[in-house]
Amino acid sequence: MEKKIGVYICSGCEIGKSIDIEKLSQIASEQNVTICKNHSSLCSIEGFDLISSDIANENIDRVIIAACSPRLKTEVFDFPENVLLDRANIREQVAWSMEPNEEDTQMAAEDCLRMSIAKVANTEIPNPFIADNISSDILVVGGGITGITAAIDGAKAGYKVHIIEKEEKLGGWLNKLHKQIPYAAPYSELINPEIEDKIKELEKLDNIQIHTSTTIKEISGQPGHFEVQLLNGKEEKVIVGSIVTATGWQAYDANKLSYLGYGNPKVLTNVEFEEFVKNNPGKEFPKNILFIQCAGSRDKGHLPYCSAFCCATSLKQAKYIRDLSPESNVFVVYKDIRTLGLYEEFYKEIQKDDQIFFTKGEIEKVIPEKNNISVQVKDTLIGEDISLSVDMLVLATGMIPNGTEDLNLNYRLGKGLPELKYNFSDSHFICFPYETRRTGIYAAGSLREPMNIASSKSDASGAMLKAIQTIQATKRGEAVHPRSGDKSYPDLFLDRCTDCKRCTEECPFGSYDENEKGTPLPNPNRCRRCGICLGSCPERVINFADYSINSISAMIKSVEVPDEFEEKPRILVFVCENDAYPAMDMAAQKGLKYSPFVRVIPVRCLGSINKVWISDALSKGYDGILQIGCKPGDDYQCHFIHGSELTETRGENIQETLETMMLEPERIKTEFVEITDYDKIPKIINDYVEDIELIGPNPFKEL
Amino acid sequence: MINIQPDIKFKKQLKEVSKSSLNECMQCGTCSVVCSLAPEEKPFPRKEMIWAGWGMKDKLIGNTDIWLCHQCGDCSTYCPRGVKPADVFSAVREISYQHYAKPKFLGKILNNPKWLPIAILIPIIIISTILYLAGTLQIPEGPVNYSKFFPHVWLNSSFTFLSFLTIALGIAGLRNFWKDLRLQYPDFKPSGSFIKHLFSIRKEIILHSNFSKCSNKKSRKIAHLLVFYGFILLLFVTAFAIYAAIVHKYPLAITNPFKILGNVAAMMLLIGLGIMIMNRIFDRKDFGNSTYADWLFLISMFLLTISGVVVQAARFLDWGIAYHLYFFHLICVWFIIIYLPYTKFGHLLYRVVAMVFAASAGRK
Amino acid sequence: MNKTQKPVLIIGGGISGVTTAVEIAEVGKEVILIEKMPYFGGNVVKFNNYFPKLCPPTCGLEINFRRIKQNPRIKYYTSTEVQEISGEKGNFNVKIKTSPQYIKNNCTACGKCAEICPEERPDEFNYGFTNTRAAYIPHEIAFPFKYHIDNEYCKKESCNKCVDACKYNAIDLSAKEKITELEVSSIVTATGWESYDASKIENLNYSDSKNIITNVEFERFIASNGVNENKLLRLSDNTEPKKVAFVQCAGSRDENHLPYCSAVCCSASLKHALTIQELYPKTEVKVFYIDMRVSGRNEDFLTEVQENKNIELVKGKVGKIIEAENGNLILEAEDILSGKKIKYEAEIVVLATGIVSSKTNLNLNRDQNQFITDKQIEGIIPVACSRKPMDVSSSVKDATSAAVKAIQ
Repeated sequence: MEKKIGVYICSGCEIGKSIDIEKLSQIASEQNVTICKNHSSLCSIEGFDLISSDIANENIDRVIIAACSPRLKTEVFDFPENVLLDRANIREQVAWSMEPNEEDTQMAAEDCLRMSIAKVANTEIPNPFIADNISSDILVVGGGITGITAAIDGAKAGYKVHIIEKEEKLGGWLNKLHKQIPYAAPYSELINPEIEDKIKELEKLDNIQIHTSTTIKEISGQPGHFEVQLLNGKEEKVIVGSIVTATGWQAYDANKLSYLGYGNPKVLTNVEFEEFVKNNPGKEFPKNILFIQCAGSRDKGHLPYCSAFCCATSLKQAKYIRDLSPESNVFVVYKDIRTLGLYEEFYKEIQKDDQIFFTKGEIEKVIPEKNNISVQVKDTLIGEDISLSVDMLVLATGMIPNGTEDLNLNYRLGKGLPELKYNFSDSHFICFPYETRRTGIYAAGSLREPMNIASSKSDASGAMLKAIQTIQATKRGEAVHPRSGDKSYPDLFLDRCTDCKRCTEECPFGSYDENEKGTPLPNPNRCRRCGICLGSCPERVINFADYSINSISAMIKSVEVPDEFEEKPRILVFVCENDAYPAMDMAAQKGLKYSPFVRVIPVRCLGSINKVWISDALSKGYDGILQIGCKPGDDYQCHFIHGSELTETRGENIQETLETMMLEPERIKTEFVEITDYDKIPKIINDYVEDIELIGPNPFKEL
Repeated sequence: MINIQPDIKFKKQLKEVSKSSLNECMQCGTCSVVCSLAPEEKPFPRKEMIWAGWGMKDKLIGNTDIWLCHQCGDCSTYCPRGVKPADVFSAVREISYQHYAKPKFLGKILNNPKWLPIAILIPIIIISTILYLAGTLQIPEGPVNYSKFFPHVWLNSSFTFLSFLTIALGIAGLRNFWKDLRLQYPDFKPSGSFIKHLFSIRKEIILHSNFSKCSNKKSRKIAHLLVFYGFILLLFVTAFAIYAAIVHKYPLAITNPFKILGNVAAMMLLIGLGIMIMNRIFDRKDFGNSTYADWLFLISMFLLTISGVVVQAARFLDWGIAYHLYFFHLICVWFIIIYLPYTKFGHLLYRVVAMVFAASAGRK
Repeated sequence: MNKTQKPVLIIGGGISGVTTAVEIAEVGKEVILIEKMPYFGGNVVKFNNYFPKLCPPTCGLEINFRRIKQNPRIKYYTSTEVQEISGEKGNFNVKIKTSPQYIKNNCTACGKCAEICPEERPDEFNYGFTNTRAAYIPHEIAFPFKYHIDNEYCKKESCNKCVDACKYNAIDLSAKEKITELEVSSIVTATGWESYDASKIENLNYSDSKNIITNVEFERFIASNGVNENKLLRLSDNTEPKKVAFVQCAGSRDENHLPYCSAVCCSASLKHALTIQELYPKTEVKVFYIDMRVSGRNEDFLTEVQENKNIELVKGKVGKIIEAENGNLILEAEDILSGKKIKYEAEIVVLATGIVSSKTNLNLNRDQNQFITDKQIEGIIPVACSRKPMDVSSSVKDATSAAVKAIQ
């Protein structure tokens, strides 16, 4: 089908005062464009009607709006689905950020339009990938309170849920609890364990299938259709659309805490103590009991982190000791009492007891004696070192996340979810706690980060929502966060694939499996549309309908590069559209100006930049290439995990290209910015332009 | 290193006397900062609060800092947990009177309302016995003349004797107190005599300067000064009266300068006590919790003064019930003077001793 | 399954409300999101960065705003508050009131109105420490990205300059407030929080010194787009401080003020301390605290602070702050571990004030601390800081969990 391109140039918002619109329109006529029109305010109703009528009457199916940033007025430019829209950002990226009415500014605007035309000419409207075997069932792995809560929420929302538990009985840790911490005021009384009620609630729901004493042999497939092989004496296969994993935690190995007396029968961990009380109802406690907080926690030699639940748990245990045993004295030695938020009220309630004694302190020595244990504590609040003779010692030990290897994912990148520091299967993002690197599989509860029961329950509900959402998005053929709604997906031309495995290795989301030969087997529903595979492919066989090797190459090549005698260098700027692009917009909106020699191409992620674009640009005669993206590193801000980082690992490869082309290494530069760094944008650009001017023009210009 | 064995009984007593919840202290130290009297090093009352929470009686009783507090209540006002350190301090002081009381039972009966009848009965019996021995245990006839009821010789000798006895018992208690104070300061090396350091704190005693540092309520200082000097004046007048009785110039005429002075002193006391009582009743927020010991002392002092004035009036106006009033007045005198080490009036002794100790230990 | 046809109403367009809205909409359900301010993002959009990664909130907000913009299932109203709710789960009738929109949605954000506007208003976005014109755009990443006119400071028709300047006919100074009636299936209250009023903490003298600011104000002081661009200057004399003190639990864990802990202030102050170190590596920072409450893996963040030689953590609550003649501030605290009263002279003091659940005119059950309890009429779901103090990550988690309740 022939592409009918309509170009609409807006002269409003000072664009017309900065750029010669007539001259700009001529660019369109030089190209293969059906219609080119100007308007003083395209975002007005008249402007919209102008375009709409062309779509209706002239069969325009490619619309270019050369006006403000595509981040603005999105709700105005809402055209039928069969129309491909591109926004040439001549307001923020040219008119507002470059000196008005200069030749160079005009050239920038013209190139901007040329790139847009080249882009739409080489772009298709994505046809979503919608599998025909999508299951709306959800698998919940782990039958603790987190799994149970998730399952209940899923079922109540109308989805069939399979919940699996490796033990014979659902309930997990909560089965071992004697009492629970109150969820809300009043905090003066402990509550009875809720797990029995929860299990009953779960069992009552008819769209829940409970699989106890069950493990997973293998999970394969992708969101919408995961094949799960269950092992329960026999093998059983279930098909689900998405998965919530809530495999929980284990207690820190107290055998490593012999310096705190562990090994002595009078020394128990908090979980052992809880179980002991649960299993010995009515038993009186000895006279003096000491709780040592942060036993093996907040300790570089053991668990460097805080487990978030132990302070309140010890308070709870102190409380029921005192309820059951009025003669007992309970001592608590802590580093900081961490009863965050409203749990402060719980702390205060526990403090009210005359025989619960608190002090900050460091345990100096634990000396087992004949009838009791003597504990020496330094740095106390009492003003001197103290020793306590106690009959029982409770070590408030922390939690270690259970891994997710038991999911037995049949994925190229491993059986479990990727883990962050200290082996938590967490999202890296503060704003997006359910961000997952295995699309459709969401971690919930203490395997994600240390959390208490209340927090785990809330987490379970959130993870279930994400699981439901994945199924729905998959049904629509759309990506999930962060490119939610994106209907494009990678299309592989496997005939030319050399089985180099770069795409399968570099995809942050494990989208690709491999056959024995190493040929990638794509799973479009695992894909998050970052384009990193596109960037990785040396054979350029991976493309998206609306984001391809060709479309960007065409954009690069569409720019008119002046020859070297004109002293008008051209810098190609690849801008990550997540943070750097908005930052450039903001710079312009703040009235900051930068060099008119730059030509900007937004990319989905720096990791999606293919080497061929670099060589295309250099061959075309660009004098330098600047890549601006999100921060890599431990505290990465790259929305696709290691996209930015890849620019560094791939950098070597690219430097080789430069060498073979006999070009200076400085001709390619990468800069990392935060979205709020808009004030740094002009300096980054201008400094680079200066550097390039010093190096001199790209020798390929002449060719 | 100190081995901890919480004294739960003591802690409960402290809670009961102070009416402070005590336990909720989270050791933030706000109290130590807002206190204008707390020294830079080891300030109070934060550390005392954890000792109280942990039932560390030995640390609290016989602690100098407990007596350096003038009960302004700033700590209680600003305490984020509402644990009222000021009241806890006041309670520790109250418990101290009992702790150092010699004989012990006097400490006990004067700090518990249920023993009040016994506390009243003791002076009734002893005074009656003296009157019986003097042979005057009846209402005399004729115009009111108190010496007919309680001959001066008997009165002066018996009350002087009892006062010395009480002083001796008080000193015995104070010696133990001093010992405990030293125990808490293992590094304490007295430099100079008790008298020298007593002299060094004269200004504080005379001017009540520490009271001014307390930010709350000017009226506290004024009231305390009125009562303090009113009482000293009365002591002086009483001493003169004893002298007058010995040289047979007693009773004094209403125009006698000493008599006038006595009445002025009584007025000072009444005003001062009136302010104190009013503050305690109507301004609980700033004046904290008022304990039995507070009221016993305040009321007996008030009754002593009132009854003194009334007894004097009864003599001049020749009232029939004069002797009964006189007898009542003597009981009041007993409560204030003879019971001094066991009641809140004991703070006169303990506080001065603690201040002397603090001065000699260089604690500022 | 009982298919809910009517949309879900989300009251409050902070990070939590926005999250709930996009999460529900991306399931495929209709949502209506309302916000009382003229822009979305609530409190966090004013933050300079998040702990523990020290990354800017606008990064995540930008993505969320993109998700809103492109999702036809989300309808939103700014400058809008709820007036009345009636009905029951599945069938709530809600009346919302939108304050007068003097600048219409066809504003192109060209900025001509602000250029010509002769009146000034204190900039709410910077807590009034700076001014904008009465015609203003709230901030750089404001969504919706359009100008507004401050009713209180605009002289309206007697001036009319902006109306003449606007080429797009976007200004209508006679605009009236608008009442809209909605029918919704369930209601999520993401009404968020306000900072505790520091002037109530008498002993900390907030009202008497310009150089004592609160933690939320500090965010605007240190932000590159804040009160002073890329510089931390104190107000009294515009100098860069060599010594900054943080007062933890300013009015928190305090029965005279907020009896509870606000869960975020410790981490926030550590974040501030590190941010200061990034800008001014020689500036000395002291943090006075009762308990250092950085929970979970944020412990690493605490360790990082402890290893920084210029930051000292002092266990002891500040009981008194006095301003010296040169504008410096003398803080007094007991250093509890050494048992000494200390006086510290700082050039800026930051009070780590706590979280108060925002007031609303909704008739909801609240606990003794004024947080919205979970016990409401069925179909009303409180979320995040409106129901208890929590950090951003927990709020987003809570917002997502509210989404699943709202579609049940």
